[in-house]
Amino acid sequence: MNEQRKDILDMLAEGRITVVEAERLIVALERNQPPTAPGPDARPKGTAKYLRVVVDAVEDGEPARVNVRVPLQLLRAGVRLAALIPPQALGKVNAELNKSGMPFDLTQLKPEQLEALVDHLDEMTVEVDQPDATVRVFCE
Amino acid sequence: MPQLLTVRVERPDGRPVRVRVPVLPVIVVLSPVVVLVALVAAVACLVHRVSVVRAFGTGWRIVSALPGTRVDIAQGRTAVLVAIR
Repeated sequence: MNEQRKDILDMLAEGRITVVEAERLIVALERNQPPTAPGPDARPKGTAKYLRVVVDAVEDGEPARVNVRVPLQLLRAGVRLAALIPPQALGKVNAELNKSGMPFDLTQLKPEQLEALVDHLDEMTVEVDQPDATVRVFCE
Repeated sequence: MPQLLTVRVERPDGRPVRVRVPVLPVIVVLSPVVVLVALVAAVACLVHRVSVVRAFGTGWRIVSALPGTRVDIAQGRTAVLVAIR
């Protein structure tokens, strides 16, 4: 809540202005406010084209930077590869995952679910801040 | 379909090396190899009981989605950039 709006509500609470006057003041206040600048959140959903991974780090005293841009279409095409994996190969992978303590059944993972996952990447932002490294994963 | 592959390498001595590879002419030049690879891939699909049409369809989708991909890695004065347009 901004300061001016708070002042109007305070005046209303103290009985210095009526409800109608408070409403008029708030409407006038909203009319006079400049439009907010469009930020990353202002982007309509589903319009992201790329997945970006940006890593800034310091290694051996030298600055290191990794900047990867992957089209989301490429991810969508990639998840279709999962449908091509032969069932016997999935069985072997499941067995190895179980051995490693990850009881995960890859046969239950459907391409449609993976595509839905890629579709919702649009709304995802991951930021990791470490003293010597920063990682950002987002869509644009 | 990718048109141009750009690889740029910056060495510690500051000399950049830039290579631009026009994808289509290279594929045309290497077409005998491409056909051979496609045949081997088709046989591998049949051996593993994977639909050849689906496999090639997925492969084509992946290749078509490559434009716009950009990988930029820099450490100190060394940098590598790979961009597909």
